[in-house]
Amino acid sequence: MNENLFSSFITPTMMGLPIVILIIMFPTLLFPIPTRLINNRLVSAQQWLAQLILKQMMMMHSPKGRTWALMLISLIMFIGSTNLLGLLPHSFTPTTQLSMNLGMAIPLWAGAVITGFRYKTKASLAHFLPQGTPVPLIPMLVIIETISLFIQPMALAVRLTANITAGHLLMHLIGGAALALISISPTTALITFIILILLTILEFAVALIQAYVFTLLVSLYLHDNT
Amino acid sequence: MPQLDTSTWLVTIIAMILMLFILIQLKFHKYSYPLSPAPKTFKSTSFPTPWETKWTKIYSPLLLPQQ
Repeated sequence: MNENLFSSFITPTMMGLPIVILIIMFPTLLFPIPTRLINNRLVSAQQWLAQLILKQMMMMHSPKGRTWALMLISLIMFIGSTNLLGLLPHSFTPTTQLSMNLGMAIPLWAGAVITGFRYKTKASLAHFLPQGTPVPLIPMLVIIETISLFIQPMALAVRLTANITAGHLLMHLIGGAALALISISPTTALITFIILILLTILEFAVALIQAYVFTLLVSLYLHDNT
Repeated sequence: MPQLDTSTWLVTIIAMILMLFILIQLKFHKYSYPLSPAPKTFKSTSFPTPWETKWTKIYSPLLLPQQ
């Protein structure tokens, strides 16, 4: 049963060819490039959505932080579209792979921190000691703040992986339970099916929220360092 | 847990880097948000010639001494 449950999280390969590459690149096809001044509905809707997100996110940044606008909008669109596509039955969700999330979180976090060190060295080092700490506590607090800094990329990656994986696992389990219950007691199966529908609605929300949270935190780390 | 099987990690990370840092940014790079069209104030850019900066009535053709 364990083998069956986790089988949807195995990186898909077809006869030795890694088709996971195609799966990761698939969301690019869903964002057509605008070629006209006034575009079709799909492109206009995506442009409007991108502008809404950009205005909201970039408002709090300095001009230096705003140079990251393209990166952040790409990030939120990539994670959002990948998570939503993963809600289709029998699909593979790349964001359940710890490898991919680590590969996203570590470079972005490192970029923000290194930018901070290069341009505002004193201010970014000052983050290690909050204001107003009593003198005897200083060494311990510096150690705690250092650990909390280095745990940021790990937390980013593991948060996304765990949330999406857990949601998918729950849907598998409850769906399997509903199917098995049909022959035993249809009423219970109906209740379980309703639970499944509610869970799916939750998963839609989680898919979008996780994308938002990831991007928001990267943006926050950027704000601290620009 | 299949996510911890590191044999596939390289392929996944490379595909993701390609996708996130290149492909999808190429798509969003092309989004443009032009300002709404508004009429421009019409201001002539021609400069008056020196003898026209100070127009005096006597130089009007009909007021010149008739020949």
